[in-house]
Amino acid sequence: MTALLTGTATSVHPRSAPARIWNVVRLHLVDRRTYIGIPWLIAGMAFVVTVFMAQIIGFTTGGLGTADAIAGQRYSWAVLAPQGYLIAVGVQAISFGFPLALGFGVTRRDFYLGTALLFVLISAANALAFAVLTQLEQLTDGWFIDTYMFNAIWLGIDGFWVDLFSFFVMQLLVFFIGASIATIYMRWRMPGMLIFWSALALAIVGTVTIITFTSNWPAVGLWYGAQGIAGIFAWLLVPAAAAGFGGFLALRRATPKN
Amino acid sequence: MNLTEPAVRVTGLTKKFGAFAAIDDVSFTVETNKIYGLLGRNGAGKTTLMQLLTGQQFATSGTLEVFGASPVENARVLQSLCFIKETQKYPDSFRPEHVLASAPWFFANWDADFAASLAQDFRLPLNRPIKKLSRGQLSAVGVIVGLASRAPLTFFDEPYLGLDAVARQIFYDRLLEDYAEHPRTIILSTHLIDEVSNLLEHVLVIDEGRILMDQDADELRGSASTVVGKKTDVDAFVAGRDIISRDGIGGLASVTVTGLSEAERAAARTAGLELSPVSLQQLIVQRTTSTTSETASTTDAWSARS
Repeated sequence: MTALLTGTATSVHPRSAPARIWNVVRLHLVDRRTYIGIPWLIAGMAFVVTVFMAQIIGFTTGGLGTADAIAGQRYSWAVLAPQGYLIAVGVQAISFGFPLALGFGVTRRDFYLGTALLFVLISAANALAFAVLTQLEQLTDGWFIDTYMFNAIWLGIDGFWVDLFSFFVMQLLVFFIGASIATIYMRWRMPGMLIFWSALALAIVGTVTIITFTSNWPAVGLWYGAQGIAGIFAWLLVPAAAAGFGGFLALRRATPKN
Repeated sequence: MNLTEPAVRVTGLTKKFGAFAAIDDVSFTVETNKIYGLLGRNGAGKTTLMQLLTGQQFATSGTLEVFGASPVENARVLQSLCFIKETQKYPDSFRPEHVLASAPWFFANWDADFAASLAQDFRLPLNRPIKKLSRGQLSAVGVIVGLASRAPLTFFDEPYLGLDAVARQIFYDRLLEDYAEHPRTIILSTHLIDEVSNLLEHVLVIDEGRILMDQDADELRGSASTVVGKKTDVDAFVAGRDIISRDGIGGLASVTVTGLSEAERAAARTAGLELSPVSLQQLIVQRTTSTTSETASTTDAWSARS
């Protein structure tokens, strides 16, 4: 059979590390619906629901556009509606993306760096979009119909730059929490999940117990108040970075399931 | 043809999952630009071995070189490999078109026209969600990526799973055509030996994590023959030979023996015995089970007679 061979043997010109990492970003984005289409569809649906809710509030409180009505709409979490879905996207980036990338001959290192770069890029884009929409909502007095979705929870209080920074950190945290949970599973399977969730539950109840027994809740409250919005989100960079770096270390020795 | 450096060199490779050795002290080499069959029963260790070769699993001990270096986290080596597992997972929303769109970013030799024509040949619905594809269509996705990637070392993992007869023939034809034009090293794992036996140039048989057979396919085919005839004649002819297996019904016997020379074949024919070639599948089944079935067959013949 060897005698039949007529062509020249195949060879491969190696690609540079930046090109390989960028190709992982493209692999995640080859189906645009996952990171862009569906999150914005959810945000759009949340906005439609918010319009109706605002009308109901207006009808019952006797008029939208009052200071009370605007403050009341701050309690809506509609602006964070896509985040539940995006945690699942973070999980799937690892649980489905990792096995596929390995099949495509990608190293674990390149896969993780590409995935992390994607998270940073999408977080930056979402932060910019939501911060701009928050400003537009203020400028247009609630889209000319006194409907406030983006000026909610902590957004639209300390200005554009704080919105941009805080949303970026929040988005990054959402992606990396989803990804690191999936990575723990990929690396250690069920035992890893059991240990992780038990340790997390113990850490939370342990912290609450210590604060309660030492009567430190007022001090904790004061500390939070002193941080301000930007300060709180700066602190949230710590768990985001821990999840990001921890995920990298765990994935370097992870193996896909059969 | 350049056959100086083997594509794969494995020495004393062991992979344990807990106490269970999925791969047990295995050594072999794979020469470049040949088609290898990695054959074995379900659970024999075929997938684990391929995962080790592609850096997806980490070896417990032993050394493993692919294109001269360990494949683990080695971008240079991994860029030359293509391994779409039989159980390959894809992102939830993926359609075959997404796989074909992204594959060129990872396989430098990707031929998009070839991939498109293969998709047509296999009648693969490109815009149907992958999780809704039939088993055969899912196999077709892996086969198309494997063929169109033209990776210097390409793995096909149970490519026939779920494929209909026409699709199997298409795979067979396209693989040989494309291999002739673009020679590369191919490792094809399957437990359906007869389906692929004509493709293979070299056979690696694995069972319970060990390499049972590592042989040139043609040599293997010529390494044994089955002698059929009257039991007394057959027994006389095979006396003192290396018997692989023995079958018999009543006064007839069919015995498979190793290595017969031309003179011996002629002698057998003069003695009124029939010689028949042994299929790769028969040979491998016989070698891997290595038991004779004469007793059982004789008993059956007896009970049929009484």
